[in-house]
Order: sequence, then C-alpha cells, then structure tokens
Amino acid sequence: MLKYLLKRLFWMVPLLIGISLISFLIMQLAPGDITTTEAGFNPKASEESRQKLREMYNLDKPLLVQYGLWLERMSTLDFGHSFASHQRPVFWQKTDDKGNVTPGMIQEALPITLLINVLSLGLIIIVALPLGIIAALTQNRLPDRSITLFVFIGFAIPGFWLALLLMYWTGVVNDWLPISGLHSLGFENMSWWGQLLDSIKHLILPVFISALSGLAGIALFVRNGMLEVLHQDFVTTARAKGLPEGKVIFRHALRNALLPLITLLGLAIPGLIGGSVIAESIFAIPGMGKLFYDAVLMRDFPVIMGILTIGSALTLLGNLLADLAYAWADPRVRRGVMR
Amino acid sequence: MKHTILKALSNPLALSGFIIIAAILLLAMFAPIIAPYDPDAIDVKAILLPPSGVHLMGTDGLGRDVFSRMLYGARISLLVGIVAVGIATAIGVVLGAVSGYYRGWVDVFIMRMVDVMLSIPTFFLILAVIAFLTPSIWNIMIVIGLTSWMGVTRLVRAEFLSLRNREFVMASETLGARDARLIFSHLLPNSLTPVIVTSVLGVASAVLIESGLSFLGLGVQAPQASWGNILTDGKEYIQFAWWLSLFPGLAILITVLGYNLLGEGLRDVFDPRSSKKL
Repeated sequence: MLKYLLKRLFWMVPLLIGISLISFLIMQLAPGDITTTEAGFNPKASEESRQKLREMYNLDKPLLVQYGLWLERMSTLDFGHSFASHQRPVFWQKTDDKGNVTPGMIQEALPITLLINVLSLGLIIIVALPLGIIAALTQNRLPDRSITLFVFIGFAIPGFWLALLLMYWTGVVNDWLPISGLHSLGFENMSWWGQLLDSIKHLILPVFISALSGLAGIALFVRNGMLEVLHQDFVTTARAKGLPEGKVIFRHALRNALLPLITLLGLAIPGLIGGSVIAESIFAIPGMGKLFYDAVLMRDFPVIMGILTIGSALTLLGNLLADLAYAWADPRVRRGVMR
Repeated sequence: MKHTILKALSNPLALSGFIIIAAILLLAMFAPIIAPYDPDAIDVKAILLPPSGVHLMGTDGLGRDVFSRMLYGARISLLVGIVAVGIATAIGVVLGAVSGYYRGWVDVFIMRMVDVMLSIPTFFLILAVIAFLTPSIWNIMIVIGLTSWMGVTRLVRAEFLSLRNREFVMASETLGARDARLIFSHLLPNSLTPVIVTSVLGVASAVLIESGLSFLGLGVQAPQASWGNILTDGKEYIQFAWWLSLFPGLAILITVLGYNLLGEGLRDVFDPRSSKKL
C-alpha cells in the first residue's frame, strides 16, 4: 500500500507542473500585461498597487524567469494580497508588526464550500444509491422508467434556473426558507440548536442545487453498474447455490457494482467545486465560488490565480483519496499495482 | 448511410430528441419572420406586462417583447453550442488520433495534458480565462471549445488502440498502406460513431455552460439577447415578473433534454450492447 501511495504521489508532480503552466499561460492572455488590465478594469487600482503587482510577478524579467519565480512562490503557497479587498492576504492569515491578525480570504471561504460539497456528496449517495438499485431491479418497468425520466431531467435542468424557481417558491411566495446568506440576523444571540436550525434552513437549497446533476449521474451509473453485474457468472452461481435474493443483491452484486463509484465520486470533485460558483453567487454564500466570481468581476488577479491553484490541488487530492480508497476496497487493484 | 439514418430515427429516444432539436433550429432560423417585435426595441409604455395575446411571453423591465428575445436567444444558444463543440471535437480527434496511432512519448505527453486539463475545475478555468478577455460570443465559443476536448481525445485514442489490432487494419498495414491511408480510410471512419454520440452530448453541456455564463453576466452581453441573460433580468424582477424567469429556463431545459435524448438514442443505435441497458 505504501509503495502504491508513493507511486501515486510521484505521478502528481508532472500534473502539478502542468497546472502551474496553464495558470501561468492564462496570465499572459491579458492584453498588454496584467497591470494594464487591472488598471483598465478597476479604476481603483492605484499606481502603487500596480507597482506592487509588477514586483510580485517580476514583470520586468524574461518570461521564463517570471515562470520560475512564480512557481517558487506557488510552492510556498504564497498567493500575495488581494487588490479589491484592502490588501487582504489571498490564502492564509498574516500577522503584522503590531500583532494584528488579518484572516486569509481562501482560509475563510474554503470551509464553507467544503461543507456544502460534503453535504451534497452525502445527499447524492443517500438518494442516488436506492434510486439506481430500484431502477436496476425493475428494469424497463414503471419504477425504472420514472427514475430514468428523472435522470434525464436532472441532467438537463439548469441549476441556476431551478435555484431561482425554488427561491421564488420557498422564499417569496411562502416564506418557508431564507433566500440568501449563511445566517440570519441575530445569529450570535441564538441558542445552539437555534443556530443549528438556522444554518440548516440556509443550507437546504444550496446543497440541493449543487447535488442535483451529480445525483442524476450517479443514479444512472449505479443502475447500469448493477445491471452489468447482475448478468455475471458469480451472481448466477450465488443464486444457483440457493442464497436468498436479498443476499445475492446486497452482498454479492451491489458490492461489485459500487466499486467504480469510488473513482466516479473522485472525478466528480472538480465539477462540484466549479459548480459552487453558480450556487454560491445566487444564494450569496461567502464560499470559494462566490469569492472567485467576485474576483473575476473585479479582475482581482491574485485571488483568481490563488483559487484556481487551490481548486486544482483539491481535485488532485480528491482523486488521490479516491484511488487509495479503491485500492483499499479492491484487493485486485492493490495486488495488480504492487506486483 | 441512408440505412443508418433510418435506423437512428426508428429509435424513440433519438427520434424525440431529433424532433425537439429540429423544431428549435427552425424557430431560430426563422426568428426574423416569426418574431412579432424587434427583440431590442424598448417600449416604456409596456414595461413588465404579463403574458397575453399581445405579448405571448410578456415584456421585460425595458418593455421589450420576451417572446421575440427568446427566439433570437435560441440562435445564440445553438450557435455557441455547435461551434464550441466543433472546436472541441476537432482538437480531440486530432490529438486522440496522434496519441493512439503513434503511441510512445507523444501518447504519454498528450495523455498527461488531458490529465492536467481534467484536474482544473472547468468552470473556474473558463471564468479565469474570460476575466482576462472581454466577454463576447466569440470568446465564449473558443473558451468552451478549448476546455472541453479531453473526452473526445480519450475516446478516439482508445478506439485507435483497439482498431489497430483488428485484422482488417493489420492486413492493410501488411500490404504496405501508408500512415495517412491507415488513419483516414480505416481508423478514423471506424471510430466516428462514438465521436458523434459524444459530440451531441457535448452540445448539451455547452448550452448549459453558455447560459450559466450569460446568467452570471460573463457570457453574451446585453443588449444581445440570450436565454441566460434574460434569466439575469428574471432574477432582478423575480418578485413581480415570474414570466421573465420561467420561459428562458424552460427553453434551456428543453434544448438540453433534446440533445441528451438524441445522443443517448444514437448511442443505443450504434452500440447495441449498451442498448440492452436502457
């Protein structure tokens, strides 16, 4: 297992270099250089902050040297300071000479997005698994047909539109749920269960919206995986030796059908992180997606690059965890790579 | 060819998808004839009117006719979707073919490139690029195209790898066929069907991405109408004007559904093994 882990970590090196190269290339897209873009779009950018930017990215040096220095800074997770938000550190908190701590922007936003994504993944698994299994067991009959229809609509429905309709229905027409933010006014003065209830109310819609398309995808995946496994010899053997149908399905078939799901969940991470832009900006939730969207609108360059890098790193980490989980769950994979 | 098309249209999924797409295509093409009003004409005496016989889908905050704007918006959605996927497919086929045919270090390099692109959250990447360019319909198409070629690349590569070991290809190679002949008359034509399926499904996701970008104000810019930016107005007026939110979203839903149905239907037709499942 250790050898497998090392091998996987080694493979991440060229990927990280590639990601840094692409991020660096995006910087070069701006007409002129990034300081003129910044000045053109954000009149608030002073000559001083432009000068800082030039120093930060070493714009006076040759391109290759710029890249090398930039890579060095990335490797120490130093993303600099935001232009738009009063020079706040992009990634992690900084303490100044007087001992005042300024919290980092990503540091504050990341836990919120992670919370929403973990809850979404939970919802996806809780709902999609039973749906997929039911569909597979009732193949081509009414339950299967309705679940497939749900899957097609789940794939096609624009999340931001559904979010608008649900906001209108639950917030404007009926006043059931709050329509934006993470907390209500006076959150600090609530009892702990009042706070919990308030947070849940604020999170229901965003979690549902981020989960929806993944939910449809995973349900379809479980269904097709189950159908494939149910036709294999070992299932026939299990039935032939007289095992009860429940045991055949849950012990033998389901376990094998679920294995590829681990990888799929790992692959779903970039979609979930990227999707947080729309959900968070609609519901005004101060997570990574909203932070990124605001940064794009303000052309807040260090924040954009910082989130792009952290988002990619999270994706790589997610894929690594998924692969390790797979190797842990399936001895065939483990032995295959260790031979 | 004729046989394949007939077979495709006898599949209920493909047929229903085809009908939906064809209907939207016709509406978009004949938008100038069908549209009762100029889509950009502002009418201060007709602001936020609910749907009626005069304005089928009501009017927006500037008194523009929503139905007319929807028709012109259809042009944008279809154009962006198809051009973006065209770009992605072209890149994917070339890279996949090179990768699968020549193998070796070229293959390793291209596959690592695919891995790199797949590990950057796509929507972040698209937004980051757009932040440094001015948002316009052409930039959107190019950016979506440049960030969605990875699936086709992997697919074409896999097809090439498996086809190269098939007897008819080996026979042709043994007879002394050149690379170009092997690629263009044997390998490429035989890997085309899964590419078509993937491309049709790709249009669906490109339409969703474009509408999402326009909704966020980073896609097609006002006053040019797109379904996404009509929805942005809808969000603004959600308490007074439900029709501004309802119709564009419904149009996106139906269009994306159409492409998905067509794609899945074609997959059933081309790949009978998987059709047992659906």
